[in-house]
Amino acid sequence: MQADHQALSHVMFGWDPLVVSTVLFIATYAVVVSEKVNRAIVAGLGAGLMVTTGVLNQQQAVAGVDFNTLGLLTGMMVLVAITRRCGVFQYVAIWAAKKVEARPWGILLMFSVVTAVFSAFLDNVTTVLLIAPITLLVTEELKVNPYPYLFAEIFSSNIGGAATLIGDPPNIMIGSAVGLTFNDFLVNLAPIVPLIMLVTLFVIYLIWGRGLSATDEARERIMQFRERDAITDVLLMKQSLSVLALVVLGFIFAHPLHLEPATIAMFGAGLLLLITNLGRDAEEQTEDVHGSFGEVEWVTIFFFVGLFIVVAGIEHAGLLNILADWVVEFTGGDMTITAIMILWVSAVASAVVDNIPFVATMIPVIESMASTFGGADNLEPLWWSLALGACLGGNGSLVGASANLIVAGFAERAGHRIKFLPFMLVAFPLMLVSIVIATAYIYLRYL
Amino acid sequence: MLVKDNIIHTKVTRPGMPVCEVFAECGRARVQALPFVDDRGNLAGRVTLKNIMKFACLPDYMVATAPLLGSFLSCVDNAQAKIEEVLASQVDPYVRELQLSIGSDEPAIKALAIMEKNDTSYLFVVDGGEYRGIITIQGIAEQMSRMYECSKQPG
Repeated sequence: MQADHQALSHVMFGWDPLVVSTVLFIATYAVVVSEKVNRAIVAGLGAGLMVTTGVLNQQQAVAGVDFNTLGLLTGMMVLVAITRRCGVFQYVAIWAAKKVEARPWGILLMFSVVTAVFSAFLDNVTTVLLIAPITLLVTEELKVNPYPYLFAEIFSSNIGGAATLIGDPPNIMIGSAVGLTFNDFLVNLAPIVPLIMLVTLFVIYLIWGRGLSATDEARERIMQFRERDAITDVLLMKQSLSVLALVVLGFIFAHPLHLEPATIAMFGAGLLLLITNLGRDAEEQTEDVHGSFGEVEWVTIFFFVGLFIVVAGIEHAGLLNILADWVVEFTGGDMTITAIMILWVSAVASAVVDNIPFVATMIPVIESMASTFGGADNLEPLWWSLALGACLGGNGSLVGASANLIVAGFAERAGHRIKFLPFMLVAFPLMLVSIVIATAYIYLRYL
Repeated sequence: MLVKDNIIHTKVTRPGMPVCEVFAECGRARVQALPFVDDRGNLAGRVTLKNIMKFACLPDYMVATAPLLGSFLSCVDNAQAKIEEVLASQVDPYVRELQLSIGSDEPAIKALAIMEKNDTSYLFVVDGGEYRGIITIQGIAEQMSRMYECSKQPG
């Protein structure tokens, strides 16, 4: 395999592999950004062309796929798909709203914190799929504008997602590629998240929070919600929360156990599927497993597969080394400038394009800088810069993250359209504030 | 048993028809959908009760939070006004694409098989582009029940 990996490309018609792979890479990126064709189709075709044109052979293409990332994503998606059926997340949201006696600003705060915490352990899309409907229901009953709530939840999901290895796909990719553990993310990224949340919520308070009010009658309607009604299956709730807790423990102790995150997530998914199907006949089991697998975002999984191969193509052809050399030349090989540049470029790029292809490209670019900075162990500030930039940058615009679009979709169907430009006018500067905080954090802690 | 033995004859919906007429006709004929005929008289789509309810009365967030809904909600107080608003509106925004249809001389078992395959409980009966009526699982079940009762009667 190693020999294959190092083998020279035999590109059709004797074309230069660097040119062919660069054209394919740019074309794939451009079509993904245009959103005219489903991104899994685009990445799949890009990957196929990398192989059929001869930039990569099949073994090299397969070697380029990070199966740890795919396993972790798939395992967590199955776990969350099963867990969410029991209604526990909605239970927590209603419980939180009642804890603050249905005061409008209190609810905004609680929903933001709940969103951030959920996002740290679930994917952001799932989190907002769970919290946005409750928010619209509650704000409808309170007779308050749902916009500040949804805005805060978008920010909270992307900020919270930055805190852990499993919170956001960029972190999963970085952790998997570099071998950073769940605890590494927890120790290095989680500490800055509360401060960014605090500042973000303070700004939201200044803009909208002071104007939020509701009548006693409206608040009383919220207090009449029975959070227990949200729990649709108590047994399933116990089973799924137990397995989720085991999986998180597994992530925490992964290093001493010599386990990869994908193994833990897939094992957890298998275990939960088993215990939720005990006592069922074969047909019922098939139907249940089919339903659970059906909720996995296969478009995202296949997008990753294609993307890994496209990036492997440009890596194999040498484009990423050229990019890395260019970055090092630009920054003069200074770690501080390089880290801050990666943080800011990642943030701005992630605000306007999908952060997944960006991070997939940046990982090998940063890996190529190891020799400049005295070895792979010294690259840690760059990884945290990339992770923070990619995750927080998603807040910069409505298209910055999938979760943002999910919230906008719910809002629009409920008659509260979130417009692109007005959102960005507040979101982009606020995202930059979070990047300023992240810059200070990276500088003070690592540089 | 053929499709034509089970046809339920209904009116068709047309552009500009109020939703209240659709509800009344569906209730009378005990069907969940009616065909939609365009200005030229061509069969152009269908209007289903489920679709009208979904888009006129049920925002996504209510569906997602269904177990939490209760009689204390403000939308319950506004129900009468909402009903009047929905019934007075026109069917046009609720028209969906035409689904599979079946000919009246086809066997009823084929209609059942098509319904099962497409996860629906009704099919429009169309001969040569002309709407004849609707066949439903409920109608077929009633017909089967009548046949069974007849077979039990002496003589």
